[in-house]
Amino acid sequence: MLVIALCKGRFLEPSLDLLARTGIRFSEDVASSRKLIFESEDNRHRVFLVKPADVPTYVEYGAADVGIAGRDVLLETRADVLQPLDLKFGYCKIAVAGPRTASISPPTIRIATKYPRITMDYYNARSIPVEIIPLSGSIELAPLIGLADRIVDVVETGRTLKENGLEILEVIAETTARLLINRAGYQTKREEVRSLIQALEKVVA
Amino acid sequence: MKSYTQIPPGTQILIGRAARRRRVLERAICSVFEGWSYEEIIPPIFDYYDVFAKGWGQEEQIYRFIDREGNILALRPEFTSLVAKTVATRLASLPKPIRLYYSGEVLRFEQPKGGRQREFAQIGIEHYGSTGKTADVEILLVAVETFQRLGIQSFQINLGSVDFFGGIVDRMELPKEQIDALKEVLNIKDQPGLEALLRNLPLEDRRKKILRAVPHLTGGRSVIDEARSLVKNSRSVEALDHLEQIYSIFESVDLAQHLTIDLGEIRGFDYYTGILFRAYVRGLGFDVAGGGRYDGLPAAFGEDVPAVGFSFSLDRLEQIVTPSLDSADFESTVETESDYKKALQLRKEGKAVKLCL
Repeated sequence: MLVIALCKGRFLEPSLDLLARTGIRFSEDVASSRKLIFESEDNRHRVFLVKPADVPTYVEYGAADVGIAGRDVLLETRADVLQPLDLKFGYCKIAVAGPRTASISPPTIRIATKYPRITMDYYNARSIPVEIIPLSGSIELAPLIGLADRIVDVVETGRTLKENGLEILEVIAETTARLLINRAGYQTKREEVRSLIQALEKVVA
Repeated sequence: MKSYTQIPPGTQILIGRAARRRRVLERAICSVFEGWSYEEIIPPIFDYYDVFAKGWGQEEQIYRFIDREGNILALRPEFTSLVAKTVATRLASLPKPIRLYYSGEVLRFEQPKGGRQREFAQIGIEHYGSTGKTADVEILLVAVETFQRLGIQSFQINLGSVDFFGGIVDRMELPKEQIDALKEVLNIKDQPGLEALLRNLPLEDRRKKILRAVPHLTGGRSVIDEARSLVKNSRSVEALDHLEQIYSIFESVDLAQHLTIDLGEIRGFDYYTGILFRAYVRGLGFDVAGGGRYDGLPAAFGEDVPAVGFSFSLDRLEQIVTPSLDSADFESTVETESDYKKALQLRKEGKAVKLCL
């Protein structure tokens, strides 16, 4: 039995779609059900749904053997997991954004973000002192009402930024969905894990 | 002041059954070590900071403090540098090989997550004075017997060698930052990350092909053959010869099913010089043991002695092993009212007593 952690939200449909194409299907409608754990039709896989930022934790601790999550949350959580595959959906940029009208830069830039670690690493590498304001949603709001000078966030199309008078100033990294694998599971469930990687590799290619 | 209920993150208190389980496990493992002629060493819980900074290296994880004379001291973050220092100094004149085991708490400043604690119990062995496969095989066999003694059947020892990957990158003459970047992506088997790095590295296609293969070089004997077809440099080839010899010995004693060759295993502390391994148990998300060869370590303390060893994490073993906790020493506990004479008599007879007050 291989245990797979999936993200609730926008990653769920494409994740289920990928699994279905490798033959892992569910008799229930996973996306609309209120249940959190599902057994696959072949009874060889169990899927559960958690918040995106928690997927790496479940995999790191071995509560799931495998997971699907964005590279952004991997960079942020720094979970010690294997990351063998780019699943090629959920493409976004992790970017610094700010108001289009450039203002005089303050001595310490205040940055609102869901990604305090990525942000700190980025500015540390550039020796720029910043004050990080951790938020958990509606990041774009922060510069508009004077909470922060800039934001660091994932940007898919840039439409939300544009509609709020913000634009990308610098791109920190690119992110897509990744396959995560628990280190111990990779060894102790070798055949099952290996065949899943190979099957996914085929369908994303 | 924080609530007294809370203890610092990464520490723990074992009480009653939990403490007994720790001791039962510890005792069982020590008896395996003693059965292979390892003698116990009980080093101090702190030593000079330099010992660990030089021997272990992970400076940011060391708890250090200054004593009243101004010496910089550190709480032991591991045993190996302490033992290596002792072998290189106090025990330098002893005939080799020297076999030692230890058991105790170590302290590291780490984020307590993913099975890591700041204070945790390590139990392990060190074998000094032998190069080559004999000592390597010996410690692997001790590790195997440790699992067996604890009743763990489905364990897997992943065996690699720093020399295989070392030999590959030696030839590439890359700056250290680029080698570190390569190690980082290989360590998590990050194929897209590896491709991104390879695009910017001035390497021949043949070498890129080798690097692409590294994460997949894990499995049985066939992995060694596959690796042979990729590399020609002597350091890597010797590493493969060495691993193959170990694998053959494991086959000859019917233990090869527990051994996995893993040439993609390049993690580990900088002091490793030859084989390195980690052991996993089905059902637990973390490795429970790790070790390898560190021939250069005793030399850092003044005596050039080859060395190999491993340690188990008792905290992690406790998550999967449930030893019988019935006290073997006493058949039953006799409850007695405050009759001290009777209690003393029972104790003389070797019986357990519980005074009912």
